[in-house]
Amino acid sequence: MKIFTPRSAPYLFIAPALILLFLFSLLPIVIALVISFTDMDLAGLTDYSNIRFVGFDNYADILRDASFVKAIGNTLFYVVFGVPFVILFSLSVALLINFGKSRVFDVFRAAFYMPSVTNVVAVAVVWSYLYNPSLGLFNTILNAVGLPGVRWLQDPVIAKISLIILALWRAIGLNMLIFLAAIKGIPKTYYEAAQLDGAGTWKQIRYITVPLLKFAIFFVTVTTLIGWLQFFEEPFVMTDGGPLEGTMSVALFVYKNGFQFSEFGYAAAGSFILFFAIIVLTLLQFKLQRHED
Amino acid sequence: MRRNKRFAWMAGMLALILVLAGCGGSKNSGSNGGGTSGDAASSGKKVKISVWAMGDEAKQLPSIAEEFMKENPDIIVEVQALPWANAHDKLLTAVASKSGPDVIQMGTTWMAEFVNAGALKDLTPYIDQYPELAPEQFYEGAVGTTKFGDKIYGIPWYTETRFLYYRSDLLAEVGYAEPPKTWDELRDAAKKLAERGEGKYGLSIDMNEQSLTFMFARQNGSRLLDENGKPLFNEPEFREAVEFLKGFFDDGSAPLDLGLDAVQAFAGDGIVPMFISGPWMINIIQTQAPDLEGKWSVAPLPAKKNNLSVLGGSNLTVFEYSKHPEEALAFIRYMSKKETQVKWNELTKSLPANIAAWDEVPALHEDPKYQAIREQLEHSEHLPMIVQWEKIAQTYLESFERIVRADADIQAELDAFNAEAERILSK
Repeated sequence: MKIFTPRSAPYLFIAPALILLFLFSLLPIVIALVISFTDMDLAGLTDYSNIRFVGFDNYADILRDASFVKAIGNTLFYVVFGVPFVILFSLSVALLINFGKSRVFDVFRAAFYMPSVTNVVAVAVVWSYLYNPSLGLFNTILNAVGLPGVRWLQDPVIAKISLIILALWRAIGLNMLIFLAAIKGIPKTYYEAAQLDGAGTWKQIRYITVPLLKFAIFFVTVTTLIGWLQFFEEPFVMTDGGPLEGTMSVALFVYKNGFQFSEFGYAAAGSFILFFAIIVLTLLQFKLQRHED
Repeated sequence: MRRNKRFAWMAGMLALILVLAGCGGSKNSGSNGGGTSGDAASSGKKVKISVWAMGDEAKQLPSIAEEFMKENPDIIVEVQALPWANAHDKLLTAVASKSGPDVIQMGTTWMAEFVNAGALKDLTPYIDQYPELAPEQFYEGAVGTTKFGDKIYGIPWYTETRFLYYRSDLLAEVGYAEPPKTWDELRDAAKKLAERGEGKYGLSIDMNEQSLTFMFARQNGSRLLDENGKPLFNEPEFREAVEFLKGFFDDGSAPLDLGLDAVQAFAGDGIVPMFISGPWMINIIQTQAPDLEGKWSVAPLPAKKNNLSVLGGSNLTVFEYSKHPEEALAFIRYMSKKETQVKWNELTKSLPANIAAWDEVPALHEDPKYQAIREQLEHSEHLPMIVQWEKIAQTYLESFERIVRADADIQAELDAFNAEAERILSK
């Protein structure tokens, strides 16, 4: 039997990727979907006869759960402030580094990228020291110049902002690289033509660079949005969702219910609501993008 | 990284199920070798058991296991140390895959959950067989954390209780030669200590400590749950305890968001010269603030109607799916022996659950600190041993946070909490 026929060869080549995708992405999603309609808990894990199908009860309960509603609000807060800032900052940094002709800017590029390759848990632990109300660097500096300390992680609203600042600092590096690569791909001739027509630096950015970066911006928007919707590590390590659930994100809510309270069915329902929110928002973006074209 | 989390979670769930399906089959077919003893053929009939231990004490356990292996050459003990923070996740995975350890150190607060899940072996049949396991030789409270219905699922290993740490020098300065004995004295002492000046406080109240309010409520006569298991969290006894604790924040006796750990705040000028904690802090204070020696001590908790503290600690349990329950029990028997318990106290300073061990260790019956702890230990009870307790306690912490930080109406907040607790309990 010949396996490598011209017809079957392509399928064989993509088979490993497809099998992995099926086993580790699609199948778990289906299983999680099934679990979300059950009352699966720890007792259900040991003995499947303890599992009962409860229909949409989990979904009905979770939407009435004040903590979950609060987590949705917080997550939207993260998205609404996080996504634009990530794009704005990483694009600005990319443009500034691109202007630099000296070798120093290679160092800057590495410096800005560094946070992205550092372990998030280690980073979050260090930042919790920076944010420490009594001993932290930030409050020490503020006090030294005569300003009162800020309750970085102790006030529900400021804590959200503190976490956004940290995540922003981490996210700039990778997105900056994407923008830099895209900027380098813009043909020089456009700028030369613009210069001949008398366009200044600002006008060149406004009318050549940014429009031609449209696809890069779109890509960064989609990936960043998905990332912020699943905001997890920073609140998990630094605040555990507090104070007053002010930093609780949907992903953290799911984790806590799943692994702290062992309510797998309930947690799966939460993760599915998040899943659909992500799909809907991403499709919406694609739609808007196409609409603009 | 962030977006991988959900996939990791889902992949985890899948892995659980695959492992379940896979292992179920293979373990049944591989009959007498046993999944865990890989070198059974080469070294006679040696059996390998795996012990999961948590926290700092797990680092000391291998030295005891070493001695156990000398006495029992047929058994190889492998100790796996888990940080407490990850232990729950690891145990869930073990339960889901029905494979993992033979002996598990089980925090008393997790007993109900894992017993209910059927993850722990019923040890009742072995209790009569082995005198080392007889409940009479352990503290009654500690035995209480191993009993569910009329069955016994664990053997007490070490015990813990909460008591008062105080700076004797600073308390003396504000007129307390003796530590506070009643709630009113505690209140008054904390206030006077806080009045020492700006940035000084009296008593630390940990907003994340699950057991604190329940402990104070019991001291005020609350039963927490009535005989039918109905919650009593909006009754006056409970409310008064909440009001009492909130009072410390209201007049600045207790710091909110200080950002210092207990020893940092306790040492030096004594920013917070009193706190309530367990025996593990003794070692920490002695090593991190050695110059404080002689300026601090511990005392039983101040009393209202009583001074009941919360009993905790760890039990040793046998995993339901262990292939070598006999050998696992041999190890547990060794650990609960008086002699081992004495040695264990010397290594880790943790409090022996075995009553006889207390008289063997000079430090335990000579040191006034340990005498105070022993006195407290006799006035300690575990919190309700029910599956839903963890969820109830977490829900309470959210209510307490709203009461302290957002000044929520106490009665209204407790009514809501009680209703929520009823809902959780009815599940």
